[in-house]
Amino acid sequence: MLRVVPVLALAAALAGLTACGSTAPGTGADDSASSAASSAAQSGTPEPTVGTEQATSAAPSAAPQTETGHVIAVAVTAGTVSGETGRVVVELGSEVRIEVTADTTDEVHVHGYDLTVDTVPGQPVTVEFTADIPGVFEVELHESELLLTRLQVQ
Amino acid sequence: MTSDRAVWTDAVLAHGVGSRADLPVPVWLAITGGACAVIVSFAALGLLWPEPRLREDAGRPLPVAVQVAVDHPVTTWVLRAVVLVVTVVVVLVALAGPTLPEANLGVYGFYITFWVGLVPVSLLLGPVWRRVNPLRTLHALLARLTGPAPGADRLDRVGMWPAAVALLLYSWLELAYPGRSQPSTVGLFLVFYGVVQLAAGLWFGPGWFARGDGFEVYSTLLGRLAPIGRRTDGCLVLRNPLHGAEGTPPVPGLAAVVVVLVGGTAFDGVTRTQWWQDGPGRAGDSAGLFATLGLLDTVGLVAVLYVVATALSGRISGTTGGPARYAHSLIPIAAGYAVAHYFSLLLLDGQRTWRLASDPFQTGLDLFGTAGNLIDYTAVSPRLISLVQVGAIVLGHVLGVVLAHDRAVRVAAPRRALVAQYPLLLVMVAFTVGGLGLLLG
Repeated sequence: MLRVVPVLALAAALAGLTACGSTAPGTGADDSASSAASSAAQSGTPEPTVGTEQATSAAPSAAPQTETGHVIAVAVTAGTVSGETGRVVVELGSEVRIEVTADTTDEVHVHGYDLTVDTVPGQPVTVEFTADIPGVFEVELHESELLLTRLQVQ
Repeated sequence: MTSDRAVWTDAVLAHGVGSRADLPVPVWLAITGGACAVIVSFAALGLLWPEPRLREDAGRPLPVAVQVAVDHPVTTWVLRAVVLVVTVVVVLVALAGPTLPEANLGVYGFYITFWVGLVPVSLLLGPVWRRVNPLRTLHALLARLTGPAPGADRLDRVGMWPAAVALLLYSWLELAYPGRSQPSTVGLFLVFYGVVQLAAGLWFGPGWFARGDGFEVYSTLLGRLAPIGRRTDGCLVLRNPLHGAEGTPPVPGLAAVVVVLVGGTAFDGVTRTQWWQDGPGRAGDSAGLFATLGLLDTVGLVAVLYVVATALSGRISGTTGGPARYAHSLIPIAAGYAVAHYFSLLLLDGQRTWRLASDPFQTGLDLFGTAGNLIDYTAVSPRLISLVQVGAIVLGHVLGVVLAHDRAVRVAAPRRALVAQYPLLLVMVAFTVGGLGLLLG
């Protein structure tokens, strides 16, 4: 029986530690995901600057979220990517519009969805699609092999 | 260390190649499935498993007909010939086939179907790559010309360290090298790897491949967990996979091999986190510097934790034996990480291999009628993927705890056997939390 006591005590102590350890990062991840999701949801409520679909397509440089869609804008200048270059969270089934303004002739490729569009130097080109495949997907420039952004569909 | 300006050129997903990565695992799932299982199993082992139970010679023999068929030389040579031909085709397509990664069989066949597919095949059937390894086939042919191996007696001294180096090099190619998805990169790597391995094989003799070929060693170690195994007398048996793992020879460098495997896959997890993708791994241009440093850091961290824990454990129990003593307990953990991180890649992006195999040079051929196949990225639901991921990591660690416990009660004085495991248990829990934490990002 002497052996049992330290085992159980240690188990209890570690169980406490573990619970803390796994909740801390977990909550963080959850927060960021849910905040992104909720900001998407909130965009359905009236917001002065963001308008309808037509309004977003008329304002190419902004990256607003409409009621059902997301606009992700990135620009490539001399091999440097700017704009939403991290990982963008969108809801499964929502409309996604990716706008790429590059200074070279190249091909935008949305992985997984296998969509492509040729860039026109200095002018924004767009890829629009319904995000109906769950997962994390990269968007890249094919020729220059430049990662533009990542799309998280959930 | 990293800043928002950190930039990074890369056009492909972290794991060599592929179009899709998994979603973060829901928090509740990881917590419910979580690290408690490891601790509870440790406590239960302390109560219920006082004596060593695992034996390499356990198992129920398979029917004689099966044994004869499996071990027949014709089976061996047919399998070897097929694998050699497929390997040559893959290398040729990588070097001379389509230049787009998505259109190249060499890229998908190597990174996904071979490297990832080796895991389930080895876990189910045992050390299959050893049996069909094309390097062994080529070596057998070449060795007839070159005669006896001059360095055969030195093989024991190098242990498994060469395999650890080979696997680290492969991990770097797969996870850090910016041009990794280029077909020419894959082709040149395979040729370079083959030439170096064959030269070493001719010097050290055929025993080299079990020590120095990272892919064979990987398959052999995972194969220790297969329900089909070979008893010490050579008889093929059905057995509890833990018996097979217990029989892993603790050669020098074994610990390094499993540490590289665990660390490499963990770094793959790091590159999939939002933190990495918004930070060091965000779009931009730079060499593979951050990924190289990240890979070395992750492998180094796993190595330090493991070596410190085994050293403490040895000191507490008053035994010696070095890091290799408990290295076999990391095998199921490495297997769990591999399944968690790559199972969806094999099932989803792996579909592309079959499509490309039907028309390897994109000439309009349709050898198997699969050239027109579409890739169905919804074939496995995100929820099932999450469940498999958490399940594989937790199960891997629980099996690791069982193996470490059995080894501890075998080698340590009975009164100290449990205390001696506390450092290892802490590390196992840290790995579990870390492994699950990476899936949350």
